[in-house]
Amino acid sequence: MTAISDKRGWMVSLAVFAALAGVWEILSWVYTVEAQPGEPMVAGWGTLFTRTFLSLSDYWQGGMGVPAVADGAARSYLAALLSVISHSLATIVRLASGLVLGGVLGFALGLAVSWSPWSRRLVQLPTQFLRALPLLAMVPLFQLWFGTYFFGQVLFVAYGVGVIVFAGVVNAVRNVPQIFIDNARALGASRLQLYRTVVLPAILPAMRSVVLLSLGAGWGAVLAAEYLGAQSGLGYIIVYAQQFGLLDRMFLIAILFILYTSASYWVIQRLFARLLVWPPSSQSA
Amino acid sequence: MPTDRNRRMIELVRVGRNYTRADGQRVNAVDDVSLTVPEGEFVCLIGPSGCGKSTLLQMVAGLDAPSSGAIVVDGKEIAGPGRERGMVFQRDSVFPWLRVVDNVEYGLKCRGVAHSARREIARDYLRRVGLSHVEQAWPRELSGGMLKRVAIAAVFANGGEVLLLDEPFGALDYVTRRQLQDVLLDLWEEPGRVVPTVLFVTHDVDEALTLADRIIAMRAGTIVDDIPVRAARPRDTDSLLLPDMVAIKHKLLGHLGLEHRTTALRGGAAA
Repeated sequence: MTAISDKRGWMVSLAVFAALAGVWEILSWVYTVEAQPGEPMVAGWGTLFTRTFLSLSDYWQGGMGVPAVADGAARSYLAALLSVISHSLATIVRLASGLVLGGVLGFALGLAVSWSPWSRRLVQLPTQFLRALPLLAMVPLFQLWFGTYFFGQVLFVAYGVGVIVFAGVVNAVRNVPQIFIDNARALGASRLQLYRTVVLPAILPAMRSVVLLSLGAGWGAVLAAEYLGAQSGLGYIIVYAQQFGLLDRMFLIAILFILYTSASYWVIQRLFARLLVWPPSSQSA
Repeated sequence: MPTDRNRRMIELVRVGRNYTRADGQRVNAVDDVSLTVPEGEFVCLIGPSGCGKSTLLQMVAGLDAPSSGAIVVDGKEIAGPGRERGMVFQRDSVFPWLRVVDNVEYGLKCRGVAHSARREIARDYLRRVGLSHVEQAWPRELSGGMLKRVAIAAVFANGGEVLLLDEPFGALDYVTRRQLQDVLLDLWEEPGRVVPTVLFVTHDVDEALTLADRIIAMRAGTIVDDIPVRAARPRDTDSLLLPDMVAIKHKLLGHLGLEHRTTALRGGAAA
């Protein structure tokens, strides 16, 4: 793709984005139904970035010299900002811990299972079950098994991520072209060297989509974990706002989520672009 | 160390390999094949597709195991692949995630040869196959012929005494194939080291005549002919027109099932 059409592509995306925001704004003027007095079903951007944002200071639990609204302080933009940052951090830490735990375990188990055709066949059926099981169906069980605190939340995210990574690794290893394995063996590679120098690099292109997929599942899982029982995090704010019919807050958090997930996808894409300088274009696409 | 033509390098003792096909039928891909190849001999295996020549080579490489019989290389029965046997495949086997020079070094690295030493060897062989200028390139940036040169350099850099080639130039165009035949022969005859023993699978009669000391014809899993090629090296276009060579060519075409209309002529040409 040339630089000019690249730039044009960006402009088109930007225009679409602006148009969507415009439609939302117009909708907020036209459709003025309120869910409850003072709480419009569709909140315009002006409301969202002033009143709604300010109201997020309700979730600030105090500290750093900024008192909590619950303790009688007035709402302030500083408290709102601190609130957004602290709850975002809580969610991101849970997500990151779950991603690392589930990713590492899923990856290691996937490689271990791929070691022999026997073990691969052994786990094939259970893996199918795990993949078919809707993640959200497991939330209540995980709560009862592991509690609603950090450990239980992280474990739930790790489970959601781990199943995808595990199945993805097993599948990717199975798809490594036999010719590379034969060539490495003929050149004298040991079993371990074969894994390190052939299997690992060969599955890397497939791992990109696996990682993106598990990242999506991870965001979903951390939200689900927070919906049920957490005392902090973006999911907690959404549930809390829902209980009081505060649609504008829910919408603002949803937008925040879009920003975070997009950023996380972008980081992963960049990371893999760096790792994958070698594949032919058909493989890297 | 001179090449000892009396030393048996490869011995196949009643080797068989059978498969059970998906439809339940048993197939003897290789059927009771015995063959002895002395050190330094260049042997071409030729035969129609499906005659078992590639299966035989895979077994000598140790990538496939015989169902019966034994394969002995340099006095030892083989079990699995070994560094003393290098293999060049028909399909592109060069690792796309390694730069060209790292591909050539691969076998040496697996053996733990120090970085500077193996780089020196790799560069030497890249120069011999005419690829010094793309040492740091990625494989995707090379043509099919160049990739084949990389594969050959990698196998020679690894220093095996037995060289197995499975229709290595089958997918290449005529000009590239001829060039690579020369590259291969130059490396094979390289003075100052033991001449590697070669098993070269091909379906190209002219290629076999150009390269081989001896041509083994196979059909339906068995050896049907074993023909020495005594023409002097280096062989050129005229070598293939020598009466002996033409006679061998007719024989081989017959084994490939391409000679049924000219049976009468064959006697005349061989005379």
